Amino acid sequence: MTRTSDETTPDIEVHQLSVWYGQTPALRNVNLNISAGQILAIIGPSGCGKSTFLRVLNRMIERFSDVRVEGTVRVGSFNVLDDHVDVTQLRRAVGMVFQHPNPFPMTIFDNVAYGPRIFGMRSSTQLRKTVEDSLKQAALWDEVRGKLRRGAGTLSGGQQQRLCIARALAVNPRVLLLDEPTASLDPVSAAKIEELIVQLKSQYTMVIVTHNLQQAARVSDLVAFFEQGRLIEMGNTQEMFTAPREKRTEEFLTGRFD
Amino acid sequence: MSKSDLSPKTLKPIAQGRSAHYVMAGIGVAAMLALLSVVLPLAVQGLPRLNMDFLFKPPRELGGGGIGPEILNTLIMVGLSQCISLPLAIIIAIYRVEYDHIRHLARWFDQGLQIVLSLPTMVIGLIVVDVAIVRWHWPISVESGILVLSLINWPFAVFLTVQVLQRIPDEWREASRALGASRWQTITRLILPVAWADIIELTGLTVARLMGETAALIYTAGLNVTSRFAFSAPGETVAVHLWYIRTEGLMPDADQVAAATGLVLLLLVIAVLWVSQKFAEWVKNANL
Amino acid sequence: MKIDKVMDRVTHTVFALFLVVWLSVAGIIVWGTWRFISHYGFLSPILSSRWNPLAGQFGLWPFILGSLTVTVLAVVIAFPGSLALSVLGSRILQGIWRRYFVRLLMVFVSVPSVLYGWWGLIVIVPWVRRLSGTSGYGMLSASVVLGLMILPTFSILSLEAIRQVPESYVEGSVGLGATEDQTLWRIILPAARPRLVQAALIAVARGLGETIAVQMVIGGQIGGPGLLHPAATLTTQLLTDLPFLPPGVPGHDVLDFMAFDLMVLMTIIVWLQMRIGSWRYE
Repeated sequence: MTRTSDETTPDIEVHQLSVWYGQTPALRNVNLNISAGQILAIIGPSGCGKSTFLRVLNRMIERFSDVRVEGTVRVGSFNVLDDHVDVTQLRRAVGMVFQHPNPFPMTIFDNVAYGPRIFGMRSSTQLRKTVEDSLKQAALWDEVRGKLRRGAGTLSGGQQQRLCIARALAVNPRVLLLDEPTASLDPVSAAKIEELIVQLKSQYTMVIVTHNLQQAARVSDLVAFFEQGRLIEMGNTQEMFTAPREKRTEEFLTGRFD
Repeated sequence: MSKSDLSPKTLKPIAQGRSAHYVMAGIGVAAMLALLSVVLPLAVQGLPRLNMDFLFKPPRELGGGGIGPEILNTLIMVGLSQCISLPLAIIIAIYRVEYDHIRHLARWFDQGLQIVLSLPTMVIGLIVVDVAIVRWHWPISVESGILVLSLINWPFAVFLTVQVLQRIPDEWREASRALGASRWQTITRLILPVAWADIIELTGLTVARLMGETAALIYTAGLNVTSRFAFSAPGETVAVHLWYIRTEGLMPDADQVAAATGLVLLLLVIAVLWVSQKFAEWVKNANL
Repeated sequence: MKIDKVMDRVTHTVFALFLVVWLSVAGIIVWGTWRFISHYGFLSPILSSRWNPLAGQFGLWPFILGSLTVTVLAVVIAFPGSLALSVLGSRILQGIWRRYFVRLLMVFVSVPSVLYGWWGLIVIVPWVRRLSGTSGYGMLSASVVLGLMILPTFSILSLEAIRQVPESYVEGSVGLGATEDQTLWRIILPAARPRLVQAALIAVARGLGETIAVQMVIGGQIGGPGLLHPAATLTTQLLTDLPFLPPGVPGHDVLDFMAFDLMVLMTIIVWLQMRIGSWRYE
């Protein structure tokens, strides 16, 4: 396995993280570290705090009203929960892909160029190169070359999701957050996205929330099992799936789960 | 292990790159103040004059009168024209949404409705003068006014009701039809009970609009009132009265009377909106 | 079912009545227009500026120009305010504040136009008089009054337009590191643009059709050129000339012709609205 940076320095470090929506607890005392270049898959029943956890990492959680937090979250050099963190730079470094493909109502080109333009890229040759590179990275280039001036809405669901990945990659993130990226896609498109995630493995630290246990087993290095806002168990993917330490994890993985 | 003694901090959105939003908020507040500046002088100037005499006595050209007959005319004309046009409008809306007879003509119907809807009310006044008053020899009266208001309200109420009905998901209709309900059973047992609350709330808007109608009533309902109400007698409304004293009237206390009249009109409109909203809420809750 | 048969008949009858009534309204206007055109021609009255109906001179150009000028100016005046109000009500205020804000706007939508006219008479006309030294009555005052009158409607419709923009676009943009401002200018407003244009067109239609608020402050005669002299619009002229040209008088048909012109303008606006409604990204 290749790693782009030193394995000993954790790229994401979560310490005693708790989150409440109003009075309702969503996450309780979560501690975990992810090294650079690793893929963490988060699994667990609905409403266990998976998405909340993901949205803390790029501070998108602040968009909900009445959110209270405790603990520290560090992503690279960003102290995420600090009141003075530069959110635009944080989110530039931490890309996000959503459950439902959400391309903007613009052309394919403008979708991918949106991020670079936001961060001040003006030159059209540079933009064209960035767009092409990002689309190639997202394995979409061959399907859309020559059609870059078409509306993003003309693409199929799976292509739209890969476009959204390309859009996220265009600003050079270090971390990618994927919130059930294949949940709304057909099996063939889902397989392509999965393949793409495996290809991108060496270059980005990734956190992927998924309902699909096989998917978690196929793509991830680490697996974290959440239940009712608590991190029950986290470990090496192979160990987790073959010999989980906790009984709850085993029950969940074998489908004997109430 | 509980951590509740360490009070967690509220996560506030970081205010970064929001300056345009602040500018927008500033302009918005200024625009709101401009709108309030229409209403506030009305209250300041009109309030001293607002008393029982003003609300119930007839107007006097030499000053000192009230607007009692105008209020009565307004209520009767708006009320009756609603009674005529609202049921007709609901039926048209049902035909547009619930029947598939005109599905392929729906686009034409919608465009035609839009044109009728945006026809200046003055034009409808002109037509009523041409037809009812000149050809049919109706007097300039309350009844002509009711005709005008009904015509103005009809397409407007159709438009609003169509919007309400179109918001009801088709799956519900299909579910009802699949249970064996006929079209009208579906309409009376499912569609209308669901739609009532919204229809009532929007009817408040149409009532308020009719209360403020002025241009179309000047030559149909007239600029006079009689001491006793009659359908064939001239029926000046509150809004028309306000226009009259501000542009043609010669009363010595015209400014005050105008402000007080305007205030009454405004209060009527606000009361209608408030009542229709509360009533709609009540219907909605009674349904659940 | 029996009730269905009866109600079907009722529905069809009412629908037929609706068609008959509004087709007759259109018919009456067109018939009057036809009589007018066959006497005086179609283009020459529209392009002429001489208005003396009792002497048989029917120049409508000043009124058409008045209608268009006042309406366009009013929409231009109302535009910044309504954009700001719609952003304030959809993207800045939250929760209960937003609810009360929208409710207040709805009250202003329902404020009768005669009250805006009254406000124009006691506030705007004296103000213009002081600033310009003219009578104060004219197209400028009318535009300001009309602008304020259409502001609430324009704002509510724009607010609806912005609220229709899916939150997922906003999340996508903010998730890339765009600021709220960048998201507003580059995502929200462009995505809402077709509906914003429709809102503006509805505001134009309302402005063109407004009679009383404009009539109270525009002055009523054809004065000199410019915004500060008394002027008239198609609707205000209909209002002031109806008593002088009752049905039966030869000049009466010109009123139908003016109504026809208004109807044509409205048709154009509705048609534009429908065209814009089908704007999509290909």
